[in-house]
Amino acid sequence: MGLSRMLQTLRSITERVPRRVWAVAGFSLAAIFPLFNVLGFMPTAWLRVGVVSLVFVMLSLGLNVVMGEAGLLNLGYIAFFAVGAYTTALLSSPKFGLRWPFWALLVLSALLAMVAGLLIGLPTLRLRGDYLAIVTLAFGEIVRLTITNLQPLTNGPNGVTGIYPPRLLSQGAIDSLQASGWSEALLKWLVIDKPIEYYYLVFVFVVITAFLISNLKNSRVGRAWNALREDELAAVSSGITAARAKLLSVVLSAGVAGLAGSVYAYYSNVISPESFLFMQSVIVVCMVVLGGMGSIPGVIIGAIVLQALPQVIRESAGAMRSEFEVYRMLIFGLLIVAMVIFRPEGLLPDKLWRQEVHEVDPRELEKTRQSLFDVEEGHQDLEA
Amino acid sequence: MGNVLELQGMSMSFGGLKAVDNLSFSVRENEILSIIGPNGSGKTTTFNVISGLYEPDSGDILLQGESVAGLRPDQVHERGISRTFQSLRLFGNMTVLDNVLVGMHTRTKAGVVAAMLRLPSVRREEAAAKAKAQEVLAMFPGRFSGPRQSDPAFSLSYANRRRLEIARALASEPALLLLDEPVAGMNPMESREVMEQIKELRSRGYTILMIEHDMKVVEGVSDRVIAMDHGVKIAEGSYQEVATNHLVVEAYLGKRGAGTAS
Repeated sequence: MGLSRMLQTLRSITERVPRRVWAVAGFSLAAIFPLFNVLGFMPTAWLRVGVVSLVFVMLSLGLNVVMGEAGLLNLGYIAFFAVGAYTTALLSSPKFGLRWPFWALLVLSALLAMVAGLLIGLPTLRLRGDYLAIVTLAFGEIVRLTITNLQPLTNGPNGVTGIYPPRLLSQGAIDSLQASGWSEALLKWLVIDKPIEYYYLVFVFVVITAFLISNLKNSRVGRAWNALREDELAAVSSGITAARAKLLSVVLSAGVAGLAGSVYAYYSNVISPESFLFMQSVIVVCMVVLGGMGSIPGVIIGAIVLQALPQVIRESAGAMRSEFEVYRMLIFGLLIVAMVIFRPEGLLPDKLWRQEVHEVDPRELEKTRQSLFDVEEGHQDLEA
Repeated sequence: MGNVLELQGMSMSFGGLKAVDNLSFSVRENEILSIIGPNGSGKTTTFNVISGLYEPDSGDILLQGESVAGLRPDQVHERGISRTFQSLRLFGNMTVLDNVLVGMHTRTKAGVVAAMLRLPSVRREEAAAKAKAQEVLAMFPGRFSGPRQSDPAFSLSYANRRRLEIARALASEPALLLLDEPVAGMNPMESREVMEQIKELRSRGYTILMIEHDMKVVEGVSDRVIAMDHGVKIAEGSYQEVATNHLVVEAYLGKRGAGTAS
């Protein structure tokens, strides 16, 4: 009782501060985060945790488009991440002796992931809920197994190693800049190979992605997604072309994952099928659910918490480190169960969801019952 | 006055059941036509066929002279037919204003890339759409004023949710508005208010096809009435003509009941 009251007081205090202030504070903190390392307050390991966290923030932002906005559960999302990562790895590593330009690979990785999204989306989007989840899950596994077994192309379980660091400009351009008197220290920033450089690179991508997606969310496209999520029958009867809108959400989210995959491949230098297990898909789903479906600040927080928290615990566990690895998934599970019981709308929910989840009076229950009945009826309507 | 909608010998069956059998009627411009009939007489099926949820087995549906039979619901909506549902279907977790804005989906054009970048053209369109949506909501004075527009739809009272559904349907300025039992579940006072609002829609130039069980409302607003039973049209005419038609009385009360009533 005392605890719940305390939490309530805490919430009422935090909610008095406008969201904008929180957003600015969070943004600034993320922007100056690497400086702690530069000034020597923080070991470089933390910076690396930051980079990977940001990659997962991108993934969650992408998954949120399809899951939070359009209401389609995708349990194979990591497959698009894999497509992006392998595209980059194969075209910028000693494997085939290629080194395609960074920007071209970034675009190509996103495009190929989008094509994968189109391929999986076209035949499956007429499925609903659980069925869609199962098909996407299978898709994720198929992609992973294909990568594992396509030895000549992907080196199978050994993965692709020695991925070249990205150059923001071509070597020729860098050389000519150097010739025209640019300082070496400045030009070094054009080759991304230090954690701090990766951090800012991914940070910029995250900011751009969040900006574009939040614009989309507040446009007619985003509203069409939301309408489909809320009531497909009413949505199509209001002029929304369901197939096109759903496909768009799947393809866009795949594109974001492809982009994240590309950056991840560059950063980690080595990629193997192990990074794209089904568990990873589940973790990204957890990030979205934990943070708050449909809420951009929410999924950002969710991703950071779920990605960084295990590292924090691992660090503080010290000698118990290996023990912790065993319990990691258990802790995840408990966390999600606790969330679903105590704060089902997520850490930083979209405004509307929060209201719904916490106002339960008998009339609402009756309405819910009624709308469940309607859903059944709607399915019949659509199937007939 | 031309016909906005023309049904020509439309039939629809589910398995062996003929839900609608060779139904023909037309809706004239700027009139309110009501369809009455006992439960299971095929009224809602007729609506579902017109709005594109079902494809008719045979017959044709003409909207302003052009066939819309067999089109998808979103295409039918774009051509100018919008509807409400008997069992309220709002987007519960979206705001009141957003519900209406969804209704304008086919009347706005912003593409994905433009929307992502929030180009000036998108901003202009968005502002215009919002103004239009507020205008539509203002047709229900006092119901959706000010801050209420950013409330989620699920928080509205029952009657207001029915009103919002009508507002969403109106947002696209349809050539034909289909209302499926607009006053179902309302108390007499509320249904009187909605009745007045439906009449006002006619005075604003809308053409309305309505299914309704509340005979007071049917009598109060309809220019013409069609009665259906077992998928067949059994009577058509003014409310008085239809209400006194012996086939209609029979359909509602049964043969013996009709005998004692007349």
